[in-house]
Amino acid sequence: MINHISELYGRQIPLRDLSEKLVANPNIVLREAITVQHGLTCVRCGTKLRRSTASLPNNQYYCYVCIQMGRVDTLTQLASVHEPNQFKGINDPLSWKGELTVLQQQCAEKVIEVFQNKRRHLLWAVTGAGKTEMLFKGINWAVENGLRVGIASPRVDVCIELFPRLQAAFEKVPVVLLHGKSEQPYQYSQITICTTHQLLRFYHAFDVLVIDEVDVFPYSGNPMLHYAVQNAVKPDGARLYLTATPDKSLFKAISRKKLSVSYLPIRYHGHFLPEITVNRTKNLDQLVDSGNLPRKILKRIAQLVADKQRFLIFVPHIKDLELVGRAITNARIDARFKTVYSADPQRIEKVALMRNEELDFLITTTILERGVTFPGIDVIVLKADDEIFSAAALVQIAGRVGRNSDRPTGRVLFYCQSKSGNIKSCDQQIKLMNRKAAKL
Amino acid sequence: MKECLMCKAPLRNEIRLSEIIRATPLINDPICQGCSNDFLDLADIPTCLGCGRKQTEGMSQPCRDCSRWQQSYPFNFSNCALYEYNQQMKDFMKQYKFNGDYYLRKVFSGQIHRQLKKCPDVIVPIPVGTDTMLTRGFNQVTGLLELVNYSNILKVKAKRKAVRQSEKNRRQRIELIQPFELIQSQKYLIENQSILLVDDVYTTGTTIRHAASLLYHAGATSVRGLTLAR
Repeated sequence: MINHISELYGRQIPLRDLSEKLVANPNIVLREAITVQHGLTCVRCGTKLRRSTASLPNNQYYCYVCIQMGRVDTLTQLASVHEPNQFKGINDPLSWKGELTVLQQQCAEKVIEVFQNKRRHLLWAVTGAGKTEMLFKGINWAVENGLRVGIASPRVDVCIELFPRLQAAFEKVPVVLLHGKSEQPYQYSQITICTTHQLLRFYHAFDVLVIDEVDVFPYSGNPMLHYAVQNAVKPDGARLYLTATPDKSLFKAISRKKLSVSYLPIRYHGHFLPEITVNRTKNLDQLVDSGNLPRKILKRIAQLVADKQRFLIFVPHIKDLELVGRAITNARIDARFKTVYSADPQRIEKVALMRNEELDFLITTTILERGVTFPGIDVIVLKADDEIFSAAALVQIAGRVGRNSDRPTGRVLFYCQSKSGNIKSCDQQIKLMNRKAAKL
Repeated sequence: MKECLMCKAPLRNEIRLSEIIRATPLINDPICQGCSNDFLDLADIPTCLGCGRKQTEGMSQPCRDCSRWQQSYPFNFSNCALYEYNQQMKDFMKQYKFNGDYYLRKVFSGQIHRQLKKCPDVIVPIPVGTDTMLTRGFNQVTGLLELVNYSNILKVKAKRKAVRQSEKNRRQRIELIQPFELIQSQKYLIENQSILLVDDVYTTGTTIRHAASLLYHAGATSVRGLTLAR
């Protein structure tokens, strides 16, 4: 329930969710949630709806695409209030006192410039380059000038990890974190961190919108979320995309000059990206499917455990988690480990155990491929030739290694039956970035 | 590619060898194997003959609830349920009924059609109130029955329903007074007929038993119940 007018600034909320005393407020602008001229279109998520799927028995239509955010139908009206940028002016709000490297500094200045000129820009920085820190100066400038800042990511884990870092860097600025499971109520704040789905509730709100990990599911190839981003930012707002692994649609936008780009091919500690080692293994798929692992992999795991070298094992499917776990237990390897996947009810606890060094390793699906840092780990990928592992996913997985300046190197071991195109492409991308870094 | 209506994962409809041999019509499953396994099918396991719930150890036949009902409402009524009202079914109902995702009726409407197409009884859905019809835009029961011939014989009495049925506790629900009335012009359809009452969920049995007693009073010879979940 919306009780205060400020909760509507730059938002679009179904009228039924407004408290009674708010409804009559003259500043509220109402729009039909679904327009019927030129075909059915959902105004909130931009989807062209199929009549047969959207129709209700009472001769109305509803949107079946953004229904997770609460149903809108042809009887619904969306209420919004024009974004007034009602923020207290704060002089130099950045409380972060860290130092940027020369290269990071260049990127940070680029970010400020993008925000000032309200452009669309891609910051292509390798895994572990320190992307978040490079944003701080730009956000500092935006907050100083009374602009509204949004930071969105398709992944909820990334948002959850970003929130405390942003709040610590801008102690005096109110920051709000929004995602499907968050219990923090919405509050009008100058900095908003949210999942890209939550952007569906915003309308021309942000002067500056940063989209982190822009190439990842569910954002990539999802027209609804692209529309949400476009709608959440002001028509003349700046958009900054961040990723280590741009996808085709971004390259296309770059070549059409709709998007400018800057690279950072080297990590903040100045070391190269760890290159991958591909181990071809006969009958790997059959062995894993029958709950076994080749002896050389088991040996390697036992060795890593004995060396007290912590690591992650990536598998392509949820069903593989248990099979691999059983194979390791049966091999009598004495180690503390857990398996984790996206819908795992104890997911957050298990990741925290790994972070607190209470586990030797985690067996995981691709959910831990990005946005997480465990200092000084190695990585093993089983069935790396499975189609689940895109080239971008493999680059990100390899990017979990060597993120800490205490141990800037590490092993990235891919086990597969054949060297797939994605593995080759991953190898090439890492080597390309390292060549670019060597030229600096 | 089609996707699973529940988890949105891409659907691969594999044709089983048995389907080729039997040459029966192919059934396109609306949901994926994983989602469908999470529903607990009550067809092949022992259930209470009164309300259709899963029999657990030490449960009487019929269950205690049903014996109590037989004392207070002494007429013949038995309910059959297709699935257990487990977490997966609760999630489904939340999405279908309370979020109002009407298209999700397709998850079960095909199966219900196959189940009921040879049913000789008059099929009567439990109605929803006019308020619900206005906000939700559909009756969740007739949605499930979209491929079946049914007769709208009942309606919810006007000026009621301050609180939704699902927001009341058990005692409040059982003490409810008759919520339904007959649509008089349709009364001839049920006189001396066998009736199959259909509802989405059987929780305490209040709703469906009130409807059943009303139909008996109106001259039905027998009334049975069918619910999607118990």
